[in-house]
Amino acid sequence: MIYLDNAATTKMYEGGVDIYKKYACQSFYNPSAGYREATNIAHDLDNVRNKMLAKLKATKGKIIFTGGATESNNLAIFGSRRNGKWEYIFSVGEHPSVYNGALELERQGFTVHFVGLQKNGQIDYNQLEGLVNERTRLISVMHVSNETGAINDLKKIDQIRQKHCPKALFHVDGVQAFCKLTFSVDDFNADLYTFSAHKFHGPKGVGGLYVRNISSLKNIVFGGGQEEGYRSGTENVGGIMAMGFAVEHYNTQENFEKVASLQKIFLKYLDEAGVDYLKTDNPYIVSASFKGVNGETLMRVLQDKGVLVGIGSACSAKKAGNRILENMGLSKDEVKSHIRISFSEELSLNEVEMAGQIITQAYKEILEKVK
Amino acid sequence: MKVILLRFGELYLKGHNRNVFENTLIDNIKKMLQGEEFKFEKTFGRYVISDYKEDRENEIVKKLKKVFGLYSLSKAREVEADVNKIKECVKGIDCKNTSFKVFVKRADKNFPIPSMEFAKELGELVLETNEGSFVDLYNPQKEIHVDIRFNGKAYIFSETIKCLGGLPLGSSGKGLLLLSGGIDSPVAGFLMAKRGMTLEALHFHSYPYTSEQAKEKVVTLAKELSEYTGEIKLHVISFTRVQEEIHKRCKDEFMITIMRRIMMRVAERLCEKHDLGAVITGESLGQVASQTMQSMTVTGDVVKYKPIFRPCIAMDKEEIMKIAKEIETYQTSILPYEDCCTVFLPKNPVIKPTIKQAEREEEYLNVEALVEQALESEEIIVCNK
Repeated sequence: MIYLDNAATTKMYEGGVDIYKKYACQSFYNPSAGYREATNIAHDLDNVRNKMLAKLKATKGKIIFTGGATESNNLAIFGSRRNGKWEYIFSVGEHPSVYNGALELERQGFTVHFVGLQKNGQIDYNQLEGLVNERTRLISVMHVSNETGAINDLKKIDQIRQKHCPKALFHVDGVQAFCKLTFSVDDFNADLYTFSAHKFHGPKGVGGLYVRNISSLKNIVFGGGQEEGYRSGTENVGGIMAMGFAVEHYNTQENFEKVASLQKIFLKYLDEAGVDYLKTDNPYIVSASFKGVNGETLMRVLQDKGVLVGIGSACSAKKAGNRILENMGLSKDEVKSHIRISFSEELSLNEVEMAGQIITQAYKEILEKVK
Repeated sequence: MKVILLRFGELYLKGHNRNVFENTLIDNIKKMLQGEEFKFEKTFGRYVISDYKEDRENEIVKKLKKVFGLYSLSKAREVEADVNKIKECVKGIDCKNTSFKVFVKRADKNFPIPSMEFAKELGELVLETNEGSFVDLYNPQKEIHVDIRFNGKAYIFSETIKCLGGLPLGSSGKGLLLLSGGIDSPVAGFLMAKRGMTLEALHFHSYPYTSEQAKEKVVTLAKELSEYTGEIKLHVISFTRVQEEIHKRCKDEFMITIMRRIMMRVAERLCEKHDLGAVITGESLGQVASQTMQSMTVTGDVVKYKPIFRPCIAMDKEEIMKIAKEIETYQTSILPYEDCCTVFLPKNPVIKPTIKQAEREEEYLNVEALVEQALESEEIIVCNK
């Protein structure tokens, strides 16, 4: 099986599995307990916090471990709610874990604005500039689009914020960017930054939220007060430790270069077959339109030929239509023929070439039948 | 003793065949209550369920409400047909601050007090024992029924719960339901089952144009329907090749017409193969292009030896949806997976096709070979609640 859906999830590092096992079976103590064995584990968790901060190149701030990106995003959005005439700004391109949170915020009576997307998949910066003002409480924009791979210019967004609403919080859903791109959260002064372990070879069910200034946030779940009260519930110790292993072993620069070279080869196949795709600076995700065929059909044909690709956010694949692609101005037919191909550095050159051949061949075959 | 009284509907119409109908109904009741502890008794014109665990009463009632052929049921108390025992029982009914009326039915005329008189006596008793109660003969808030039967027993109850009615499942043969995954076809199946028909189902699957989930959805629907109809054998036929061929060789606007004609041919052949007596579809007149009178004439034309039943034909979508919600297939039906009818959907399907036009289009196909090929792909999934 050639797995080209790495934006949906990635394979865990085996070393991470070993670490998980160690913390599940030997050092299994509850980090909140009082004895030395337990406090040692609390220290181990803090070590992982530091690793995450180092990867984010953050000069200040904290890490709250969560049960994954959906939880982190919810904490960022609902934790920054304040009474009064505040306004909240989101992009239309956000993952459902942000977008549906924004809709809920609106239902609760808060003022919510949505920024549209440009044809290149990035947010419309001019529109954003028109929406921000001194009442803006939160700007939440993703780093990399999970649907299209487009990278938003976060520095530009920060400049807009500094100019019009320096007090507003800036939340970045970094799920598809963390570990994969080289950056520092200080570059764009993010107040909140979401990451998820299973997108960079860590386990599922664990992630975190970087918080620059903890007092800007309020907790949204109530309980034993773990994670400084921001995420009650016994820590997923094994998961967090395995995430620590993954972040340590993920070589951002080297992987980026390898994936970029793989993508380049892959795109040649698409070019030859006349397949349209969105051009971005992100080699990890290719968002392509296979004109004339249904993306879902192509996905199923490919699965039978041993190639797994995505049709947009796996979490919402069952929903008809596509808010993001439609907002970018793609026609209904283009949206229908959309497929997401996402890479990992673990792919071999041979696999990528085979996949390129299989995909373009399958495309031709279906096209022949349905045209 | 707590009992459940069951009344059946149309069976009394069935002259000489009555025994067959009744035995089928009784079998179905027992089957539906499989796994429950209970005793079943047949008295004249009624069935009595007794000796069940009291905490299972609501569950048993819920199950009985899914048995076709039952007209209504009542949770009742059974006592000896003795004046004092009946009075004792009536005393126990709470009628405080409500209007009421007592109905006495005396099937056993040997009972010493005539019905009207006994009703009055019992009414007085209720008035005495319940503060604030009063008689209202026309619009009582509470009805108290006393049913004195031949078996030396009397049944006292105050509520009559309507059941599904219809005819006992299995008393009207077996039909083949075309199950697409939409809202209408499960309702069509339910309605035919209500008229006593047991079901097998037929689903056309167009992998890779339709997904595994679309097929799973139909399996789920068949399971949900089987709550009422008992086990359903689902015949899944691969329709991919047929659709590709039609798409390649026939005019676009005839895609659906020809497709449905081939579906009907496959359905009839399956009926012959599995000894099924009718083809059932969820079509509703005018709902979509393929459900106009003309379209149905053309698609029905290829079925020569079996009747096609379309129980939803005169129903509005709203009415169909209401039943779908009642039988709890609606939520499954609206899951958004493409079914084979939406693949290759032409922009302007023909609304008033003629048989001649359809036959002309079919000249471009080897229809018999396609039907044969489709039949070969048959996969049978047994669906049970």
